[in-house]
Amino acid sequence: MCEVETKPLVDSVESLTKEAEILKKKLDAERVKLNDVTLFDSTERAETMAYMSIKPRRTLKGHQAKVLCSDWSPDKRHIVSSSQDGKMIIWDAFTTNKEHAVTMPTTWVMACAYAPSGNLVACGGLDNKVTVYPLTMEEDVTVKKKTVGTHASYMSCCLFPNSDQQILTGSGDSTCALWDVESGQLLQSFHGHSADVMSIDLAPSETGNTFVSGSCDKMVLIWDMRSGQCVQSFEGHDSDVNAVKFHPSGDAVGTGSDDATCRLFDLRADREIGMYGRGNLIFGINSVDFSVSGRLLFAGYNDYTVNTWDILKNNRVSLLYGHENRVSCVQVSPDGTALSTGSWDCTIRVWA
Amino acid sequence: MDMVVSNLQQQRAIVQQLRREAGFKRMPVSLAVADIIKYITEHEQDDCLLVGFSSQRVNPFREKTPCSIL
Repeated sequence: MCEVETKPLVDSVESLTKEAEILKKKLDAERVKLNDVTLFDSTERAETMAYMSIKPRRTLKGHQAKVLCSDWSPDKRHIVSSSQDGKMIIWDAFTTNKEHAVTMPTTWVMACAYAPSGNLVACGGLDNKVTVYPLTMEEDVTVKKKTVGTHASYMSCCLFPNSDQQILTGSGDSTCALWDVESGQLLQSFHGHSADVMSIDLAPSETGNTFVSGSCDKMVLIWDMRSGQCVQSFEGHDSDVNAVKFHPSGDAVGTGSDDATCRLFDLRADREIGMYGRGNLIFGINSVDFSVSGRLLFAGYNDYTVNTWDILKNNRVSLLYGHENRVSCVQVSPDGTALSTGSWDCTIRVWA
Repeated sequence: MDMVVSNLQQQRAIVQQLRREAGFKRMPVSLAVADIIKYITEHEQDDCLLVGFSSQRVNPFREKTPCSIL
């Protein structure tokens, strides 16, 4: 390669690198300056709760292999789940009956989601695709299935942001993408992670145009869905970030990682304000969700347990035993009355 | 050459990202935390997984109890 040709470019890379270093130092200093108290200092006087005891209420059996993902229907009664066995199942969680079982043209169906109307579900995984299935009374829901989008690697997570018309996906190709359901058109793609995207969540606002993503690059990124730009980034985790979830206030995100900690990052303070699980916990976390008030953070672990953290007190308030293998997904029902957990033990359990 | 160009583009993107973040208006942690505590306090009473159900009857996933009248 010719020296003269490359020199100005090399210089630019150097000057840019220098500028990046200065900006990083400035950012760190700013964040430290505003870190005037800690969350746990502020909550020392907060009331200690008489926590209610959550019990196992239902066990949904039918998958032949690891349950990888599940999602509550907006009707607070049905659950869609997907599995390594290539099946997607629609459950009536009250009766534990299976209403639909769909065989996908792939194994490892890593993601599934209900649309806001409750009449449509999306799923996908190792096929790199997101496919929607309208839920009709007909016996075979595959007749009307439709492939909406395709990634360059596996699809790890998906959700419908605010309407049945769009799907947001995260992928092993390190990008997120927003798709139009009807046309299958790619509306926006989100570049910023440098490794597999594992989890996404939408900000809890009706006009929500913000979402969060967690990745194997250890980063948590906040995105503007319209512009496609990353608006904030949080580092801190020492390993893959497997789970991200907005706090119901919309001002913070909870995360779970292979580094065995859950963390709370505040968007407005622009920093980590809580860490849960430093100490004798050594197992990774696959999934997290908040109770409706945002005080409890449920986390599914590789040691087969679900830990419940009081985010204000930094206490572990309960430990849900029952699953016989890794807990892959946890989700509070839309009205906050129940918790669903899916596991590599092939079952989904409902706790309340 | 492609390598150099892509490095440059990558570095430009990083700097642009950092510039955006440097321009971001931050709030002291004390205020941010106070708002989170306020939100939680206001919603605690409706949080069944935190405070339980007013009666097991309103728990949609309660055990089916045998009818006690018979």
